[in-house]
Amino acid sequence: MENDQPQESFEAFTKSFFYGTRSDLSFKFLSDLTPHDASTFLQHLFSDLVDAIDDNDIEKIKKRLLSGQLKGYENQKNFDYDDGPFHLLTKPASSLNFTLLTSSGHFVLGQDPQPLGVEGMTQKEAEKRIFDFLKEKPQLSEIPFEIQHDQLMVRHGGYDTRAAQKDANVSFPYQGMTVLKQQGKINSLTPNAYSFVGACSQVRLLKQTLSGWIEKLKQQNVDAMVMVPV
Amino acid sequence: MSVGHAAREFEAAGIATVIIAVKSFETRMKMMSLPRVLLTPHLLGRPMGNPFDETGRISILNRAIDLLETAKNNGTIVDY
Repeated sequence: MENDQPQESFEAFTKSFFYGTRSDLSFKFLSDLTPHDASTFLQHLFSDLVDAIDDNDIEKIKKRLLSGQLKGYENQKNFDYDDGPFHLLTKPASSLNFTLLTSSGHFVLGQDPQPLGVEGMTQKEAEKRIFDFLKEKPQLSEIPFEIQHDQLMVRHGGYDTRAAQKDANVSFPYQGMTVLKQQGKINSLTPNAYSFVGACSQVRLLKQTLSGWIEKLKQQNVDAMVMVPV
Repeated sequence: MSVGHAAREFEAAGIATVIIAVKSFETRMKMMSLPRVLLTPHLLGRPMGNPFDETGRISILNRAIDLLETAKNNGTIVDY
């Protein structure tokens, strides 16, 4: 029996997880592995799957996936700086005013930043247009720390948002920050936390955007901040 | 990268920062010479851990605040 399907190389298979025909943002790292490393990873993952079923323990699968992601990202060196600024804290956190900023793509229901001028963009469309996002200026969403969880939305074409859709706190720990304030670990919080889509133009971020964000936080007397990339 | 660039600019403006990132981003974080980074052993997209693990994420946040208070130099990167 003849097979009319075109032949696909193993390398093409692994590349297809990076915004290709099999796009899967939890496995896009496969495209950064050598064919040998990718094949070894998959072989071990299959073996771990059977053990996990037999042992009723998914921890082994999680560790295997983590090892693959570590390997895939270990050689990503986009920006290289010899040194950087450092602002030494001279007061305890319990006396400071904090905020939270993440690149997780969260926003308030009804306040969609409408990236690329698109109203109601879906997660799938954001993934398809990831390379358009990378040319754009980022937009900052302001999100009250006291927001109800069902009013909090997320959309980001650069990472697998499934966990964030179940519980925003996995990448936008707004409720945890409130707990720290209640416990006295930190003194106070700004009324709003902040989020943006980190997949954006770095040039526009540096030259057109960050000065305005700094001004916004300075006006609120922010001393320190927790930041979460995804 | 975006959070790294933002952290550098905020820090230069006198706002102290601590980044919580997955361990997979370690190389990126090191290359960007960032003030303070706490690396968590979680999967991409879940730097604070699994959904609804409130105890875990409070523990991570506490460690991050401790790092904020104790770091003395740029480039302080520690594992959670």
